[in-house]
Amino acid sequence: MTTVIPFGPQHPVLPEPVSLKLELDNDVVVGALPSLGYVHRGLEKFIDTKDYNQTTYICERICGICSALHGITYTKAVEKLFDVEVPERAEYIRVIVGELNRVHSHLLWLGLFADGFGFESLFYECWKYREPVLDVLERICGNRVIHSISRVGGVSKDLTKEQIDMILKMLDTVESQVKDLEKVFVNNYTVKKRTVGLATMSKQLAYEAGTVGPTLRGSGVSSDLRESADWDIYRDLGFKPVVEKDGDCYSRTLVRVKELYESIKIIRNAISKLPNGDIATPIKGFPTGEAIMRTEQPRGEVVYYVKGNGTKNLERLKIRTPTFANIPSLLLTLPGVKLADVPIVVLTIDPCISCTER
Amino acid sequence: MLDNVIKDIVEIKSSGELLKAVEGLKNDGYRYATMICLKKDDGHELIYIFDKDNKLKNLRYFVKPGEKPKSVSGIYLCALLIENEYQDLFGLTFDGLAIDYKGHLYLTPNSPKAPLA
Repeated sequence: MTTVIPFGPQHPVLPEPVSLKLELDNDVVVGALPSLGYVHRGLEKFIDTKDYNQTTYICERICGICSALHGITYTKAVEKLFDVEVPERAEYIRVIVGELNRVHSHLLWLGLFADGFGFESLFYECWKYREPVLDVLERICGNRVIHSISRVGGVSKDLTKEQIDMILKMLDTVESQVKDLEKVFVNNYTVKKRTVGLATMSKQLAYEAGTVGPTLRGSGVSSDLRESADWDIYRDLGFKPVVEKDGDCYSRTLVRVKELYESIKIIRNAISKLPNGDIATPIKGFPTGEAIMRTEQPRGEVVYYVKGNGTKNLERLKIRTPTFANIPSLLLTLPGVKLADVPIVVLTIDPCISCTER
Repeated sequence: MLDNVIKDIVEIKSSGELLKAVEGLKNDGYRYATMICLKKDDGHELIYIFDKDNKLKNLRYFVKPGEKPKSVSGIYLCALLIENEYQDLFGLTFDGLAIDYKGHLYLTPNSPKAPLA
């Protein structure tokens, strides 16, 4: 006989409300059903009342963690409608802010993950190391959470020499701190005991479940939109996707730890190649046509669809966020997992529910 | 200015053809990325988006008024969330959904009905 118990919507490991109905046989999960709707804000409807420029601000507020990349993806989608060429300097600044966004997001996740299995001191360290990244973002963008850097046609703020020096200095510090964290996440007995072999997802299963980002790459699939032609600037920055083969919670953790180094490398390369010039191209008229833009957010691929009809308002904006794509994988990986391990498994998809429900 | 910048899109005429095309894409190793729903004067337009090696392949299918489009969640389980979302937001009914939230994935019984329709 099985028992059905609720996991969430309020749970110590969940920063945001999501609920799972878990079907248990003793303490082993045999089925899971996600239940959403606690933070649905109807943002795709809300943009009916905003023009395409104001919609940038709405997109930046979909998520408080990957705010910059939401804004960047949206503006790049609208730029496709205008067929406009964005100044190279603006593209480099977008990359720098986007990767800083990824560094702080991964450090945030590593802390939450450590907290999820009761490793409180590790949680403190991760979040302490994240603070200087947020400080730098605040100095560059004027805000710690909503970075608001991208505008249709370019970026809203330029980088000064002092800000660039500040970023480089911060990266040196963070890189050495990440090396300390890596030792723990890779070698610590407790971390390995709680994650190795847990909720394993094969390459085939991960692909068929539609997973994205570190969840997909942790199962051995080399898929990262920083390699795509849509944002080809990454090709000049020495980017290489991080892939782990085992498909378990440990692999998904390692992907995120190693991606911190990759982001730091990309930012340094972007700064060394940062061209001089304008930071925005003036835009005239209203958007027409339809376009899809995808970028690699910290949690994986985000898809933006925009449709313009020649007026100031978009006819349709559709956003498919990475967690939305990763939730179905829980239906496939949770069966067979012990109840005590459910929080760990849920955390390894790095759930962002505000993004998911919009 | 470009009229349309979605590339590699295939028009699908019937639900049988749709399921066949989706199954073919799965066999060819495509990942289900998402589906877009657009309200049209005389029905709905669905754009199915698939990815392989960071390149997109899209299917466009027109849903006539009163038609129940076939769910592709039997082929790609992950399609169930987006199909349920469109049941909530556009008032569509997908036939054969793997898990059917019956219009209450996001919305409660007291919410506005089909707010994007």
